[in-house]
Amino acid sequence: MPADTPRRIAVRKHKHVNRRDFLRRVGWGGVGATALVAGAGQARAAAPAAATYPDWIPASPKPPKRGGVLTRASAWDPPVIDPRLTQSVGLFQFAGLTSNRLVRHPFSDEAAGPSDLTLKGDLAESWTASPDHRVWTFKLRQGVRWQNVPPLNGRDLVAADVKYCFEAYAREGVQAFTFQEIEGMETPDKYTLRVHLHTSNVLFPQNLAEPVAVIFAREVLEEDGDLKKRMLGTGPYILKEHTRKVRVVLQRNPDYFDKGRPYVDEYVILSTPDAATRLAAFRTGQSDIIWLASPSEVETVRKTNPAIVVQSYHNTLAPFGLALAQDRPPFNDVRVRRAVSMAIDRQRQVDTVYEGHGIAGWGVPYIYYRDKAPTVKDLGPWWQYRPEEAKRLLAEAGHPRGFETTLFYYEYFPQMTSQVQLVQQELKKNLNIDVKITKLDYTTYYGRYVEGKWDGMSWGFQSGHAVGLDERTYHYMHSKSTKNFFRVNDPVIDELTTKLRRTPDRAEQRALTRKIVDREFDQVLRMWMPYDNGFLVFQPHMRNVAAGALRRTDGYGSPTITRSWIDK
Amino acid sequence: MYKYVIRRLLFALPVLLLSSLIVFGLMRVMPGDALVALMGESGNVGQRELAKLRTDLGLDRPYHEQYLIWVWQMVSLNPGDSIFTNEPIAVALKKSIPVTLELATLAMVLGLVIAIPIGVLSATRQDTPSDYVGRVVAVSGLSLPDFWLGTLVITFAAIWFHWIPPIGYVSFWESPWRNLQQFLLPAAVLGFRLSAATMRMTRSTVLEVLREDYVRTAWAKGLERRIVVYKHALKNALIPVVTIVGGQMATLLAGAVVVETIFALPGMGRLTVEAILFRDYPVVQTNVMLVAATLVTLNLLVDLTYAWLDPRIRYR
Repeated sequence: MPADTPRRIAVRKHKHVNRRDFLRRVGWGGVGATALVAGAGQARAAAPAAATYPDWIPASPKPPKRGGVLTRASAWDPPVIDPRLTQSVGLFQFAGLTSNRLVRHPFSDEAAGPSDLTLKGDLAESWTASPDHRVWTFKLRQGVRWQNVPPLNGRDLVAADVKYCFEAYAREGVQAFTFQEIEGMETPDKYTLRVHLHTSNVLFPQNLAEPVAVIFAREVLEEDGDLKKRMLGTGPYILKEHTRKVRVVLQRNPDYFDKGRPYVDEYVILSTPDAATRLAAFRTGQSDIIWLASPSEVETVRKTNPAIVVQSYHNTLAPFGLALAQDRPPFNDVRVRRAVSMAIDRQRQVDTVYEGHGIAGWGVPYIYYRDKAPTVKDLGPWWQYRPEEAKRLLAEAGHPRGFETTLFYYEYFPQMTSQVQLVQQELKKNLNIDVKITKLDYTTYYGRYVEGKWDGMSWGFQSGHAVGLDERTYHYMHSKSTKNFFRVNDPVIDELTTKLRRTPDRAEQRALTRKIVDREFDQVLRMWMPYDNGFLVFQPHMRNVAAGALRRTDGYGSPTITRSWIDK
Repeated sequence: MYKYVIRRLLFALPVLLLSSLIVFGLMRVMPGDALVALMGESGNVGQRELAKLRTDLGLDRPYHEQYLIWVWQMVSLNPGDSIFTNEPIAVALKKSIPVTLELATLAMVLGLVIAIPIGVLSATRQDTPSDYVGRVVAVSGLSLPDFWLGTLVITFAAIWFHWIPPIGYVSFWESPWRNLQQFLLPAAVLGFRLSAATMRMTRSTVLEVLREDYVRTAWAKGLERRIVVYKHALKNALIPVVTIVGGQMATLLAGAVVVETIFALPGMGRLTVEAILFRDYPVVQTNVMLVAATLVTLNLLVDLTYAWLDPRIRYR
């Protein structure tokens, strides 16, 4: 266009921007801005692949420093602080610091690596079993005092406290199944607790080491009638403040039995429900620990905070999978289950949804039956992506033209929706199975799922807190267990999981666990789906904070903070 | 005037009653209850335990009984306890109302501070670049969702300035400076959205008023531009603006839910959403009734403001 057209002159003369001119300029500006943003996005997508981060951060060789405040922006809020009523990570991100268990797993400065699950004494100094593993005797550590807060005022912890606590757990609430296994208890002396079980269980101490099995104060329950208002324990930190949806403040317990510990004076957990805000808080130093799901997120943070310490977290199990109504057609036919499993490309989910940093999916922690994490190939024939064979198998089962079914789920995290949609597409494409998806809110989903009367499929889960083998096998797979949400009803599994509880030898336990897993994979009893590995990211001044398998420092693995310190 | 106010207040009663029935009914229609939510992530509660807890909390009573108990609690200004936390609802509200009130007030002030001058400027300089800029700002405010703007603001503040509002709510009385740091950004985000509609309304009504005879007369008398625009035109242009500002309270409360979540503020929005998700019936019901009562009152106040703005209006 020539420099001075009559129109341009007119515009200058009247000092008015013509509406069309304006819109055109804005339009071009918008195109430019879009291109800029798209370009920036492109640059991010084309960023080099994430560096390899270590999966374990060894304990610091330096002498620990006392003091400082550890802060963490947290996604979770405790629904209630009564450990009888919830096993929510919102509560156990700090309950393991205010309270102890009888036995525990190693802290990060004691552990040989993330998979080290050697049991250590917490309130118990030692424990022994009768030859038939029905009677367990725990010798308590002497000189352990309750926190010096009314109504306990620092009195000694005795065996009767533990007995009272276990009885309360068995009476009502979410831990009843575990503690109803106890037939009776006795306290032959002040520091000895003898537990009689209904049946033999060599894995019983493992159940007591679960992060949720904390010992609470008898006086509080008796005075308040519940544990919703006060949380008092024997742990390294005293709950100084709990303001819902704002913060939890934990203050160092000067009378903690492990003298000199903890090192950090105060641990503040800030309720921050929004992921972007948590990330911003970490970037600006308001938070010392953050969980990031993908390598690209870590790389993005490293651009602004290059000194961060990153632990590549490797999950030992997947908590989510396709739960099928396997007690009724069509999923009561193992051929249908196998066909569905073979029609799903798990590696594709790992590569696309989790940017390659995920696991193919299995339910029992692999560390109990093998040394290295399984690959898709290790999961057996029915877990390979073989659409043609899947089609043949489904036809054999009497569904050559596929069928219609339903799938309901709750979006625990955004990637889950992508997974659900990929499964829907693959089942349609490969088997002509029409899956009608229903996305529900948490309470509706949970209520429907645990009721166990649904048809079709659900994106099912197993609880996230459990570390122990007994919990992951007998509790979640035995047909009589109240936690058997996947509706497994397999006599072989029942027999094997029961036998496992009676097998003290570790090598035999491994072999039995292997059999359980093989049976599960062969019968496709629980159709696990890929899950992310993620990264724990720490500010550079944090020491001894590494997360162990199944126990993230920012979640159920919080007790390890007892040994953490701040190097600044 | 008094008769009018009393009549309006009496009319409000059926509105509140209907609201109470709707919210009570909707909560009961939703699948699941507080216990199911509470036991979530646990996966370990037998039906016997659930039934016992349900009885303890009165959730097994007939609906009409539950409704009447709740209405009585509301009338006697004792809304009861949260099913989920056991905390008295009055205590929870005492903590959350000041947060939302502060956020809403600041957002409203910021919104008006942005909207009215730009609206007037847009109108008095119609079809000039400043008008177009003002209109683009207004359209942006209408079209950019709060969650997006809030996320953008907090992310870029962290990257560019290495600063975000301090997390962990502190009341104004504890630390005024920290409190203001916590509220200014979220209020700006919320206010920006509020300002958009007000800005557009101000512009169009001022434009309309500027064409009135009495304004022309004011110009003809040789009055200063400032006096003509702000004293003669603006006051008369404000009636529809006040209407829209009053009506925006509902939008503001809805926006507060998102903004409170992003900026980690423990206000009414978060309280209500969490209570809905966890089926904490008494909390949801009380909060909704409180919002309904607030909106009814605000509408009345807006109507009463007309008379102050326009002396020709009389209430009988």
